[in-house]
Amino acid sequence: MSGLKKVGFLVNPIAGMGGAVGLKGTDGLLEEAVARGAVPVSPRRAEMALAELSGVDALFLTAGGDMGEWALRKSGLRYQVTYRPPEEPTAEDTRKASSSFIDEGADLIVFCGGDGTARDVSEVAGSQVPIIGIPAGVKMHSGVFAISPQAAGELVRGYLEGDLLFRETEIVDVDEELYRSGILETKIYGIAVTPYRPVLVQERKQIYSSRDEEVFKEEIAVFASEFMRDGSAYILGAGTTTAKIAELLGTEKTLLGVDVIKNGRTICSDASEKDLLRMIDEAGGAKIIVSPIGAQGFVLGRGSQQISPEVLRKIGPENLIIVATPHKLKETPRLLVDTGDPEIDEMIAGRRQVICAYRIAQLKDVEASSKVGTD
Amino acid sequence: MKTKILLDEEEMPKRWYNVAADLLTPLDPPLHPQTGEPLKPEDLEMIFPKGLIRQEMSTERWIDIPEEVREILRLWRPTPLFRAHRLEEHLKTPARIYYKYEGVSPAGSHKPNTAVPQAYYNMKEGVERIATETGAGQWGSALSMATCLFDIQCRVYMVRASFDQKPYRKSIMQVWGAECVASPSELTNAGRMILKDHPDTGGSLGIAISEAVEDAATHDNTNYALGSVLNHVLLHQTVEGQELQKQMAMVDDYPDVIYGCVGGGSNFPGMVFPFVPEKLKEKKEIRMVACEPSACPTLTKGLFTYDFGDTARLTPLLKMYTLGHDFIPPSIHAGGLRYHGDAPLLCNLVHDRVIEAQSFHQNEVFKAAVTFARTEGILPAPEASHALKPAIDDAIACKKTGEEKTIVISLSGHGHFDLSSYDAYFAGNLVDYEYPEELVKQSLANVPKF
Repeated sequence: MSGLKKVGFLVNPIAGMGGAVGLKGTDGLLEEAVARGAVPVSPRRAEMALAELSGVDALFLTAGGDMGEWALRKSGLRYQVTYRPPEEPTAEDTRKASSSFIDEGADLIVFCGGDGTARDVSEVAGSQVPIIGIPAGVKMHSGVFAISPQAAGELVRGYLEGDLLFRETEIVDVDEELYRSGILETKIYGIAVTPYRPVLVQERKQIYSSRDEEVFKEEIAVFASEFMRDGSAYILGAGTTTAKIAELLGTEKTLLGVDVIKNGRTICSDASEKDLLRMIDEAGGAKIIVSPIGAQGFVLGRGSQQISPEVLRKIGPENLIIVATPHKLKETPRLLVDTGDPEIDEMIAGRRQVICAYRIAQLKDVEASSKVGTD
Repeated sequence: MKTKILLDEEEMPKRWYNVAADLLTPLDPPLHPQTGEPLKPEDLEMIFPKGLIRQEMSTERWIDIPEEVREILRLWRPTPLFRAHRLEEHLKTPARIYYKYEGVSPAGSHKPNTAVPQAYYNMKEGVERIATETGAGQWGSALSMATCLFDIQCRVYMVRASFDQKPYRKSIMQVWGAECVASPSELTNAGRMILKDHPDTGGSLGIAISEAVEDAATHDNTNYALGSVLNHVLLHQTVEGQELQKQMAMVDDYPDVIYGCVGGGSNFPGMVFPFVPEKLKEKKEIRMVACEPSACPTLTKGLFTYDFGDTARLTPLLKMYTLGHDFIPPSIHAGGLRYHGDAPLLCNLVHDRVIEAQSFHQNEVFKAAVTFARTEGILPAPEASHALKPAIDDAIACKKTGEEKTIVISLSGHGHFDLSSYDAYFAGNLVDYEYPEELVKQSLANVPKF
């Protein structure tokens, strides 16, 4: 049996729940998220990743219940429960489960969650056991995340078949308290080893601040302030480029939240998905301005989950305006959408204009991340 | 079957053709930038010689070419018309493809066709120095050569983006005795003002024009010269089209379509204007297609209205297709096509649907350029390659229809100074820019009119 590979598999069942209800992360805010109507997203994402693995020759080590056992049972893969969590598991249980995998001889740990989960797993795994993240959180800045659940599944399969390379990557997370008050500051929490095929693993998020970037942000903002005078309601996604637009209009905008601006005034700050749906109904439609997140190139689905598939369906893909500075576009080999609804992702995908300066756009391919790397 | 269709020196045109005599709609006059009144000849005398102002305002159909000018044009004219046998074979097309090659001039493009007469008329009126601008460097090189031959000093304001991309353009201008400075520069008020707000700007033709006009207006001994846009410039370029007519007749053929690139409009109008009366009066079936970059799609997406020719609003207001004088086009590699407006004569004919316009992205343009270089040998300038792209597409379409179409390409210059752009193309570093037409329209609709 010594030849059989062992893969630790762990699901953070509450990861990502804060996103759709306008909370930046779910850590410590589960009750608030549930009260706002959040539903679990990570179990489904874990299943999507496992679906890529049918027939692989490996033993999965996992934690009981919704921390992995149930997803593996559905998948039909061979598994063994090495850790039984209490009824309401915490970060401590993520660490304990990871330890149990290593004790049982895991060659690789796959987890489903966000940056918080990545921190907990890597704290235990260090740089001795490689880890792969199935993206399911609100914040996913760490380089261990694959670009989609399907891609994560592919990476695990590639690892088991022995045709991948390994690299060291930073585990980063945003200071959540600052994050909620609108300041984006990432901190490195550790170094993990992760297998990669260059196209399939997220680049670590980069935050640019050069002067050149500012000039282009300003140009984009001037142009936006001109076309936004048409009386429509504009939903502005997170990030420094969209914040610049609000700054130029002289109105308030949260750096990491989604805000609605109409006729140059903020009419809804830090909006949740429900707020957005109500606004769209009231205004009889709306337009969206978003900017891809750092080097990962996610236009939708990471960082601004409030702009949900339902919001996008109501607004229509033609009313999605993407903005990004030339430097960011250069550093971002491809733009991706991962809203969680493949049908919506497909509607948005294609060759699209990205506003990159005053009255100037670039044509970029936007891809549904579920399609990337699956040929 | 001939490959080169050549004219004797004596067959070089003796007159320029003025399309202003044959327009369907009379040309709207240029307006004074301060008063908004139609421009009078004396308004232009501060920066242009009278000989050129007369041509600028003329509606005479034919204007004689001075013998001193023809003597210099003889150094490279008449230019050859090539039959692109190898390209045809490569594309397996039944179409006949011709290209008239202006890259044989000493400066490497069509620009000397007007640089020489402009320098001549300035010399005749005792002008000691000329200031001008250049985008890709083609015009600056051409005027440097022409002023050198007529013993006039010359300063060229070269758009910063091109200046950095093509350092050897400056070298060649220096060989011909001219001074080449990157624009925006610290030498003019217009330049200093732009640099204050945008210290890192790549510049634009509009800014460089502002600098050169200011230089001419503030120096008594200095005139201004423009390599594009103005009526007299297009007039001088009509030697191209007149030669083409004779050359096509020599092989008993006639163009179904002529493709040419357009930045401000000089090479393309020069090639097609002599065909305009044949289309309008003799009802010849000929398409004339202006090819421009998608990043700066003046004719295909601009507004037909009065606008300034430059960024600092120093020039007269011209009725033309424009993307707005405050638009600074992205730094594409066809630097010569980065202009917010276009020649009023050309715009008039596009508006009256005598001439068509199409736009193309730079990656597809470079792809066509490489196909051309690998079959015909000549390395085309990125600007000229905008005409190769639709010509090749057209020839491929003929393969399906079986049509033996006669396709003529105006190949305005070589790309020997553009090799860094080819490098960028091969490295996959060329960005396809697009003009966000809908959003621009939306913003213009809400901008208060003045």
